Amino acid sequence: MTTLQLPGRKKIRIAAFLAVMGPGIIAGLSDDDPAGITTYSQLGAQFGYRLLWTLVISTLALIIFQDLGARIGVVTRQGLIGLVRQKYGARAGSFSALALIFANLGTMTAEFAGVAAAGQLFGISRYITVPITGFFISFLVLRGTFKKAERVFFVLSAVFISYVIAGFMSHPDWGQAFHGMFVPSMPFNKSAINIATACLGTTLAPWGLAFIQSYAVDKRLTKADLRLLRADVWIGSLLTGVIGFFVVVTCAATLNQEHIFTITDASQAAVALKPLAGTLAKDLFAIGIIGAALLAASILPLSTAYSVSDLTGSPAALDDSFTEAPLFYITFATITVLAGGLIMIPGISLITILISSQVLNAILLLPLLAYMYGIARDKKLMGEFAAGKIALSIYGAIITLVAICVLAQFWFMLKP
Amino acid sequence: MSRPPVATINTVAGRLVGRSQSIISRKSVRDSLVSLAGLIGRPVLDMNGKEIGRLVDLVVRHGQETYPPVSGLVIKIANRKSFINGARISRLSPDSIVLSSAIINLEEFVRRPGESLLDGDVLDHQIVDVDGLRVVRTSDLYLAPFNKEIRVVGVDISFMSFLRRLFPGSLARRPTPEHVLDWASVASLTDSTGVVRTSGTRAALSQLRPADLADLIEDLAGREQSALIELLDPDLAADALEEMKGEELEGVLRGLSSEVAANLLMRMEPDESAEALRDLDDEHRESILAIMEKNTASQLRQLVSFDEELAGGIMTTHLLVVHEGDSVATALQLLVDNRERDNPDGVVVVDENGVLLDHIQTVELIAAEKSSLVAELIAKPFPTAVTIDTKIDDVVEEFSNNRGSSIIVIDGESKPIGRILADDLVDALSLKSQRGPQSNGVRS
Repeated sequence: MTTLQLPGRKKIRIAAFLAVMGPGIIAGLSDDDPAGITTYSQLGAQFGYRLLWTLVISTLALIIFQDLGARIGVVTRQGLIGLVRQKYGARAGSFSALALIFANLGTMTAEFAGVAAAGQLFGISRYITVPITGFFISFLVLRGTFKKAERVFFVLSAVFISYVIAGFMSHPDWGQAFHGMFVPSMPFNKSAINIATACLGTTLAPWGLAFIQSYAVDKRLTKADLRLLRADVWIGSLLTGVIGFFVVVTCAATLNQEHIFTITDASQAAVALKPLAGTLAKDLFAIGIIGAALLAASILPLSTAYSVSDLTGSPAALDDSFTEAPLFYITFATITVLAGGLIMIPGISLITILISSQVLNAILLLPLLAYMYGIARDKKLMGEFAAGKIALSIYGAIITLVAICVLAQFWFMLKP
Repeated sequence: MSRPPVATINTVAGRLVGRSQSIISRKSVRDSLVSLAGLIGRPVLDMNGKEIGRLVDLVVRHGQETYPPVSGLVIKIANRKSFINGARISRLSPDSIVLSSAIINLEEFVRRPGESLLDGDVLDHQIVDVDGLRVVRTSDLYLAPFNKEIRVVGVDISFMSFLRRLFPGSLARRPTPEHVLDWASVASLTDSTGVVRTSGTRAALSQLRPADLADLIEDLAGREQSALIELLDPDLAADALEEMKGEELEGVLRGLSSEVAANLLMRMEPDESAEALRDLDDEHRESILAIMEKNTASQLRQLVSFDEELAGGIMTTHLLVVHEGDSVATALQLLVDNRERDNPDGVVVVDENGVLLDHIQTVELIAAEKSSLVAELIAKPFPTAVTIDTKIDDVVEEFSNNRGSSIIVIDGESKPIGRILADDLVDALSLKSQRGPQSNGVRS
């Protein structure tokens, strides 16, 4: 008797996808955090539909590198920072980890800032919203089982629909939007370069790359899961771009049309929407910010904690107890408390924190992407999954693009 | 911070490798420890104190010895890497290596089997801490002269030692051996051939419980994972694999050579290895089965095609099949020929493609005209059929719905491949209820 093709296989596949699905979508969507929304709003408000193509490129870059991160995690069973330490040495590993901690702390503060600003729109003080958010995410991630947390994350990501609805309510010029997506044009000035870099930096966020890899390791996903995980990552990354698109379009159709060219925080876009697209659009936008902030604020300390324990080589998994993985939990708590505390300082300039964190993200992206490139081509680490010439040239092209943006940024910064 | 290493780690390791005390606790060794991480990039001097080049890496040779000796140096001279035999080292200090002669034969470095590069393969890599039962990262390696050669004596896994390396200058090179594992109690898993064999680790690993080993194996990936498995005694490795989940096991088997995989699968419980084989793709499975001993292979092939929780696992493959174009006489003859085997209460009729048409009772055949075709007897009630992957519970339901004495099992193309008789089902159910309460994952 030869082997039989079991007809029941297909059903199992779908169930398996549902089990694996999540990390990619969560990692992707949490790139649409308040910092991201602010950046996309600014992109639309200042330049209308014209720079939409930078979002298209950022999304493609996100898909490609999230996919690579997932692959590296599954094949090597090691997180990104641990691999950098192994391949590039103690200093490179520590530098990456330190940079990630700072950038993540900055971004985490931006998430709390988003919650604070959006809460104020509904008349709730940030001294109430921020602590509640801190406790909520800690409880969600640390106390519940991760499966449950994941379900809550999914519900949270549903709020992103609100951006799509707000987008339609603003009656954008679709013809111009598609033209902007596929016909690149760009004024060569400081603010355009700035916003393009920020767009790349906020979409292709370093912590998202570190997260997807650590998650695959923590969940012990195997090569058998890889196809499903990759599908998940692609869907998540694509959704990130789609939602970003609607945010840009909303702001282009309203703020840009009304000659409101600057956005200073995430909630301002919502406020400005009110007279133009109605109260409902404003509320939807604000709810979207809160949901996005909660999602990203849950993932950020987690990603940081993963990276730190990865550097030390001490085991870390969400199912470990405090005594088993103290550093993991200490990092989680420190990031959350510090970021929440910063926001509570009366009179602090949230916008400075927000912008500098995104600039740091973009700069940090360069070495991390370069390390990932090196790991991807390493046959010793990746075996049969090592990247071929074509893949490497695509990675190389994206890295070059990020480098050009960062260099142009520096050039305008130094130019009087 | 990283988990505090077990205080008694060295004594445990010492007991396991049959020595009274670990070498690192000897005062003479402890006082002459040199940090490998600190040594990399430091000058290599000739006997007159003149710098020849900078140290890139140290090569160690693995053999039966517990503490592997340094067999060579890779140094960088004017941007070219060269190899110097380890026998030429005259003195090792924390910030330089002094050679015993002024005349240096520089050789091209070629990695030989059984050797590994301490910086390139071990430092900052994952190793298995056998006593602590975990995968850790190497923060530093300590070298010391011992038994006439310079040897690797200890592995530092503490985070503090890792941080120490970030400091500038000589601070980074000062050994901080507070939390050091004896080399004998770790399994370092990378070198050119994949495995670092030390008799000590092998002995220590053999003391582990299979379930703990399975956890260690799951924590590793790729070459390291395969290396650890190959390092183990095959029987122990087979026990460990039995403890693993299907998906994990599939991943492990994919990483092993067919020879190693076949060897392990033959040592596993047949149903466990059948389950593992079932998850592999056809080509891979065949390549493994082809190497196995014939009887085991055919037994496994048989088991692979069925699943004990499904209809295919409990059916009998004994079927009397006739073609719809056959005559009634042919069918009766078939029954007579098989009267010795189980209870031939009828024949199964198929069309030219082998697809199931009907099950005809012996009584019907006897009553019919001998020369007529079987096709003429096909009529309601048609037999109940289930696919091979139907769950046993569903088979039971089919039985109780139809009140028949048997059910026909078909494959995905509706071809009959077996039959489940009521008594087969009774056997299966009683077996299931016996095993049910105990079979919560842990196997004896």
